[in-house]
Amino acid sequence: MREKFKVALAQISCKRGDKTENIRKIEDNVVRAKKQGAELVIFPELSVTGYVLRDQIYELAETIPGQATNILEKLAVKTGTYIVFGLPELSDKTQATIYNAAVLVGPDGLIGKYRKMYLPTHSVFEEKRYFRPGYQTAVFETELGKIGLIICYDVFFPEVSRLTRLKGAQLIVCISASPATRRAFFETLTVARAIENTAFLAYVNLVGIEDGLQFWGGSRLIGPNGRVLVKTKYDKEDLVIGEVNYADIRPIETFVPMLKDLRPELFDKLKENAEKL
Amino acid sequence: MELTSSVLDLNWSEVETKIRSFIKDYVKKSGAKGIVLGLSGGIDSSTTAALSALAIDGNKVFGLLLPEQETYNAQDIEHAKLVAEKFGLKTQMIDITPTLKTFYNTIPIFETADKLCKGNIKARTRMIYIYYYANKLNLLVCGSSNKSEAMTGYFTKWGDFAADISPIMDLFKTQVRKLAQHIGLPKEIATKPASPKLWPGQLAEEELGIKYETLDLILYGLEHFMKSEEIAKQLGLKKELVDKMKHRWLYTEHKRRMLLTTKIEYRTVGKDFRLPSTFY
Repeated sequence: MREKFKVALAQISCKRGDKTENIRKIEDNVVRAKKQGAELVIFPELSVTGYVLRDQIYELAETIPGQATNILEKLAVKTGTYIVFGLPELSDKTQATIYNAAVLVGPDGLIGKYRKMYLPTHSVFEEKRYFRPGYQTAVFETELGKIGLIICYDVFFPEVSRLTRLKGAQLIVCISASPATRRAFFETLTVARAIENTAFLAYVNLVGIEDGLQFWGGSRLIGPNGRVLVKTKYDKEDLVIGEVNYADIRPIETFVPMLKDLRPELFDKLKENAEKL
Repeated sequence: MELTSSVLDLNWSEVETKIRSFIKDYVKKSGAKGIVLGLSGGIDSSTTAALSALAIDGNKVFGLLLPEQETYNAQDIEHAKLVAEKFGLKTQMIDITPTLKTFYNTIPIFETADKLCKGNIKARTRMIYIYYYANKLNLLVCGSSNKSEAMTGYFTKWGDFAADISPIMDLFKTQVRKLAQHIGLPKEIATKPASPKLWPGQLAEEELGIKYETLDLILYGLEHFMKSEEIAKQLGLKKELVDKMKHRWLYTEHKRRMLLTTKIEYRTVGKDFRLPSTFY
């Protein structure tokens, strides 16, 4: 396993419904990131299709593996990189049951997927109308260490990142499509999730305007002490490379020992009280 | 939540950037050659025109001055020209009086005393002129409605509210005034009393029965799910006044929505035919 590697935050805008164009943009960014030494390239939530799809999602959703995943799998193999991207996943057992999924492909092909657990359905968000929630956190053993995947609104719920960390992920990848009105929340919560789990957290957000929603970008790689190591521009497409060095976790974990101090018995109380809310 | 004027304070540079990005992005994606809008010399259309010019360049923004005899005001024309000059807009002035007279003379049930019905003809006639330019010159119609008017339904259905985009519609009137000052609109425009100019002497605050400073705080409270009692208490108002504004807001939803129909088939336009507003 590699202790140290470069990760690219590929902050793109999407052409809604145009998978060919979006995949072309993903390919272009992977090649550029690779030239700059990146071994992991991360794209935003639903980066294959765009975010505001409404009923068109039924036309655009596809299985994993499926056409888009196959193309991006080949790209990962050809370039020898790990890539995280998002797409609406059609369940292979049904005809219209869709998940909001993050996919990890690598030099040996498809590694795995994560299905978003927390689907925002309030204000301008209508994800529960279209998506079935996922039921599992996702952590994958790779040459770049154990990588966990979460999506956007999941970051508001500390238990998702916690469980991902407890399964061994030292790098939590959060792909996102967050509009500008939510910026302050994400800037705070991404840092909090990194600190409380003494883990690296790579947050990659969408940019561009879809149906009046302006996505703010501001993608960032955060260290286990909560320091923002690198950050992309706000509101504009950008590609920024940062470095993950797992050795940085040890001194933090030693003197800011949240994982050592965890109290599992409180989780039972949490469950008990959450059910009574 | 404390209802004071500070709740309406925003970072005006950020607001300006957001609106400019929105206009620029939409014009580009739609493939239109620019924007056309009615330029009345009032604060809303002046601000919208200025922001459009800042977003896509004044020579791509067409301001139509559409005065008519009854409400003609030389100062408004002067103000509209001032904005056009400052922000480099293209303009054209058309006197719509003859068109209006034709309507008045050819509608068998026309009553000149019914100033609201008559006034709405003016707003809708302007819409027709503006859309003609949009069609003919491949321009987008940019609306100038603000959130105070949108929420209270203080506009003409299919008239001044009709547009392809409405960039300042999420800002209350008092916020538009601040944004206007921020982007450098002449002070005399930013501070003059609002009027839809549907009939001579019509003033918005007089007709609504409330000052925008108070109305906007009531609407802000309603937007944030506050109850009438709480809003009235905080603002030192009678609950009846708050309820009157709330009533205006709730009972004018039909003016802001897609046409209502009855559900018969599998997917219904305006109900569960849910598509993105644009697909680019």
